[in-house]
Amino acid sequence: MRYRISIDTGGTFTDAVVADATGILAIGKALTDPERNFAGVQAAIADAAGQIGHDLRELLAATDVFIYGTTRATNAIVTQRTARTAMLLTAGFPDILVYRQGGKLRPHELNVDYPAPYVPRHLSFEIPERIDAEGNIVTPLDEARVAAVLDELATLDIEAVAVCLLWSIANPVHERRLGELIAARLPGVACTLSHALNPVLREYPRASSTAIDASLKPLMQAQLRLLERNLAQSGYTGDILVSASVGGVMHVEDMIERPIYLVKSGPAMAPVAGLSYAQLESLGQDVVVVDTGGTTFDVSLVRDGQVSHTRETWLGGLYTGHLLGMGSVDVRSIGAGGGSIAWLDDGGLLRVGPQSAGARPGPACYGGGGSEPTVTDAALVLGYLDPAYFLGGRMALDAAAARRVMTPIAARLGKSIEDTALAIVTVANENMIKAIQEITVKEGFDPAAAILVAGGGAAGLNILPIARALGMPRVLLPRTASALSACGAHFSDIVREAGASRYATTADFDFAAVDAVIDRLERELDGFERALAARGLTGFSRTLAVEARYAGQIWELEVALQGGRLRTAADVARLVEDFHREHERVFAVRDPDNPIECIHWRARLTAPLPRGAQQPGSDGYRSGTPGARGSRTAYFGVLAAAPLEAAVFHGGDLKPGDRVTGPAIIEEPTTTLVVYPGTTARVTPYGHYLCELA
Amino acid sequence: MSDTPSDQAFDPVLLAVLSNRMDAIVREMTNTLLRAARSAVIAMSRDFSCCIVTGDGELLATAEAAPVHVFGTHLQAQAMRELHPDLQQGDAFLHNDPYLGNTHPADHTLLVPVFCDGEHLFTAVAKAHQADIGNSIPTTYHAAARDIYEEGALIFPCVRIQRDFRNVEDIIRMCRRRIRVPDQWYGDYLAAIGAARIGERRLEALAAQYGVTTLKAFVRAWFDYAERRVVQEIRRLPAARLENTTCHDPIPGVVPDGIPIKVKLEIDPVAAMIDVDLRDNPNCLPCGLNESMACAINNAMTGVLNCLDPDIPHNAGTFRRIRVQLRENCVVGIPRFPHSCSVATTNVGDRLVNATQSAFAGIGDGWGLAEGNTALTSGCAVVSGRDARHGERDYINQMFLMGGGGPASPSSDGWINLLIPVGAGLLYRDSIELDEQKYPILVRSLKLIQDSGGAGRYRGAPGTEVVYGPRLRPMRVVSAPDGWRTPPRGVNGGNDGTTSADHVLRADGSETKVEGFINVELAPGEFIRGRDCGGGGYGDPLEREVSRVLNDVRERWISRRQAETVYGVVFRDDERTLAVDEAATDEARKRLAAARG
Repeated sequence: MRYRISIDTGGTFTDAVVADATGILAIGKALTDPERNFAGVQAAIADAAGQIGHDLRELLAATDVFIYGTTRATNAIVTQRTARTAMLLTAGFPDILVYRQGGKLRPHELNVDYPAPYVPRHLSFEIPERIDAEGNIVTPLDEARVAAVLDELATLDIEAVAVCLLWSIANPVHERRLGELIAARLPGVACTLSHALNPVLREYPRASSTAIDASLKPLMQAQLRLLERNLAQSGYTGDILVSASVGGVMHVEDMIERPIYLVKSGPAMAPVAGLSYAQLESLGQDVVVVDTGGTTFDVSLVRDGQVSHTRETWLGGLYTGHLLGMGSVDVRSIGAGGGSIAWLDDGGLLRVGPQSAGARPGPACYGGGGSEPTVTDAALVLGYLDPAYFLGGRMALDAAAARRVMTPIAARLGKSIEDTALAIVTVANENMIKAIQEITVKEGFDPAAAILVAGGGAAGLNILPIARALGMPRVLLPRTASALSACGAHFSDIVREAGASRYATTADFDFAAVDAVIDRLERELDGFERALAARGLTGFSRTLAVEARYAGQIWELEVALQGGRLRTAADVARLVEDFHREHERVFAVRDPDNPIECIHWRARLTAPLPRGAQQPGSDGYRSGTPGARGSRTAYFGVLAAAPLEAAVFHGGDLKPGDRVTGPAIIEEPTTTLVVYPGTTARVTPYGHYLCELA
Repeated sequence: MSDTPSDQAFDPVLLAVLSNRMDAIVREMTNTLLRAARSAVIAMSRDFSCCIVTGDGELLATAEAAPVHVFGTHLQAQAMRELHPDLQQGDAFLHNDPYLGNTHPADHTLLVPVFCDGEHLFTAVAKAHQADIGNSIPTTYHAAARDIYEEGALIFPCVRIQRDFRNVEDIIRMCRRRIRVPDQWYGDYLAAIGAARIGERRLEALAAQYGVTTLKAFVRAWFDYAERRVVQEIRRLPAARLENTTCHDPIPGVVPDGIPIKVKLEIDPVAAMIDVDLRDNPNCLPCGLNESMACAINNAMTGVLNCLDPDIPHNAGTFRRIRVQLRENCVVGIPRFPHSCSVATTNVGDRLVNATQSAFAGIGDGWGLAEGNTALTSGCAVVSGRDARHGERDYINQMFLMGGGGPASPSSDGWINLLIPVGAGLLYRDSIELDEQKYPILVRSLKLIQDSGGAGRYRGAPGTEVVYGPRLRPMRVVSAPDGWRTPPRGVNGGNDGTTSADHVLRADGSETKVEGFINVELAPGEFIRGRDCGGGGYGDPLEREVSRVLNDVRERWISRRQAETVYGVVFRDDERTLAVDEAATDEARKRLAAARG
């Protein structure tokens, strides 16, 4: 028996998912140990190993794919615990990271300090040189000045250097030379050059990604190398893969070269899982994926079988944080979850979050001293949670505490405790609905046509009313919902991207120049492919895309090159028509007389990892109504004015084909599904829950 | 109001739901306009706003819209109803008339009436500052225009531009004939109409889901909620009558003595009202600096709201509690035709915001704000010319390469990237690379200026210096920077920020200073340098936390010299590490305080 293991190291828990050729076998959980990363990894694997009758070493010895995901890089950036990094910029432009791109959320908020740049000004240095928009050298590189700057850096205990010069994307000669001089003068210091990492137009996103990548190198390279050693010592000898922000996995050696791809490692796998579950159950190619944790609610999107990507990922807040500056899976997070706190503002409006009770003190019902009402407390009051069977009975909940902390708000609203709890859940739902709309409706995607896949331990409590508000008729709650990201890694592919900026207009298309650029990208992918083939991978596929705009527009839309290379007028005509269609879909208008400007070219190589086919449940398929464990009183608000008796089921009792009609509650060891009135949950052939809204 | 709260009957949960939905619709409109527009002024700098107005013309939802754009949209919606009783679904109106409720002629406003169950329930509004509007000179800010005829803008007094969802081609042709780089204008028009139509679709869907009756009840309840929030806030303020004056700097040959501006403010916490009286100000002037009525209202409003809780929603309910008193034929009031309002959204408007927010500082320490940058320097000029790289193609656009020092507050330093007070920090910056790709220019440098923020317990944000010039062909640069004589003022002991300055740098190394109004042609090899103002400081610099001064020196926001002479913070002489000499600092601060007498 050969196994595959995936790990997702979150802020609180480390999840380990073990699979074999027949599908997922066990989910292990352990507390994350921020000091000794491998301790949490080891404990989670051991937990899963125990469930299938192995110990850790036995399991690792019988494993041939190991996929690692971690939020460590994201956390290091947000908490400013990255390496001491210097930034080298074109002389005259020292403040690119200070200015960012401008913009702010609240017009009248002028009483907050301006956020510090990613690299402080006293570690930013100006390098005399200049290249223009066409790649001509306006001012040659001043090597004497470079030598002086590098001498100074040598005295400043710098651990990493980021280099971003204006127009290095048009002519990288100065950045390359700086790279050589840094390697010679500062051996052992990590270095990232912007044109090599992220050759995109616009100096801020490029500089920001360069600074982030360089600053992650010392910490994350050390962590990944330690992981390699620890795994080897524990008897694992196979390949180590790491889940990347692009929604695929990379070999650990490649990740060590470009650790910026570790940002969103973990959460980027949630949509991969969502797509796989939807495909497995034949539920279509359009999927909205949500992941509800204790403090954050993540939303991502799969459109026509493709996970949605974005180039606008901010770390630490829109406008005021730091722009990732690279394409990544579009995972949007809001501060909403089971721990979100409910409060009344001084206009009397009920608000939920963004403050959270977190893991400590946690919701009041956890008995950890929480004194403010949270969404979890509300769910308990409403009868959705069983105080004696939370997390499969591993933790008892204090129902009296939940009611007690809700009393002050109930009094001010003039509502009963139960109605107040309903109101809290409704407002929390609203925040989540808005987050889903942001990534769907706002991007021209109609959620009603998609399947909603809900993950995270708390997802099942309120996902059905959320789906109803969005007009989404079907929701899939995987039985493995609580470890969605780690599960996603089992369905992921190895992905490598190459990109280049080259302007071309369809009014006068430069076939030769564009072909040369795409040739270069293809050759880059050839190199990746050879290396992967040497590891025994097969079944490669490639896609090409261009970021394009109408003549004179500022922002680009990504359009796939459906027909591959652009070699004839007909190829270009097809691209133009695809662009018009995409523009009309997203922006409601098309401008048929206007030529298209192509800005950035992108090639992507995908190599599927070996994976077993998921098998339908072995217990056969039955079509019946299972026996309930009992019932309890639950409240559903507008769906039923009076409290109702909801039948309670344990997931372990249910078999594929079983049908549960709301009001009912299905309890799993790591998650709970509330089946609202007017809704049916059916156990799928693969053992997941498919809910249908009447 | 709070005694008879009509929203008690309205479900507070549904109130939260629907208010979120409204803001989401405005955000979707905004995103559409940003991403689809052509000119950098709209698509890169975000000099536009979207909002939703009720059918009877009250401002309902603004999300992150610029206050200067949207407060006052009700005047435009009213004009639409009065001028077009035959309003119907599929209509869209182009409105840029400053005598009929618009901000200034450069802001092309598109109004789309939204019908639900046959009733005109909402109006979806998209307003965008155009790169060009056909003025007599290539700028959208013609400060020197004696009247609207010299200004030369095409004015559309709420003119139907779509019927049955199709363009009225006569109007499109008029614009294409007169507006420079017509394809750019048309692309921006398409983006704006797309945004308004998306708002229309979403509002129709919302009405289908909840019903017209519920939406109407929501609107009333939402206004009442906003009013309750602002009432609570005003009741926390002390009663006060405040008066503040400022002056727009002279423009040689246009307004040689500048424009004095007076703001009278009355705060009545008992009645929960704030009253801003702007009537004691000069008559309209023969220049482009007159405020439109919308701008006089919204800039005074902005000054007030900058001093209140930023979480308060901003809609017609809020405005019930802030009264702005105006008079006819006044430079900060109701403009008398044909006086020009070409520059209404910025210069005098910025002075109005500054004077109002700093008047609040007169209540005492802990209230109000200092003043922010007032100069739209050459870094935000309208530039035009021909691009030899692309077959001598014409170009015209407003640059956004400034910073603009923000005012210090009672609890924070000033905001870098404020731009100007009416910009409120909302606008995006241009990318240097994108500007250089789209226009034949070379930016030589762009950086923050050391020691330019007004010193204080909290420091004003530094100003920015930008130097750029044309490549290959000459380029015209037009702008009207204020703040070159009167800097942003500090309050309650805070120092003033620095003044602005614009210089033309000739190829022979000589420099020429330009004051008040820039309208120059640069040859290749020549550059223009714009320095905008640092923001004013708040409170006594000698009370600034030493750790903040240390960080300012380390990060080069201020020089060691300024730290020692203005803040009284003395450092040990050690090249490697910067460390404060605490004893010497105590002494220096005492000495500096004593020297004031």
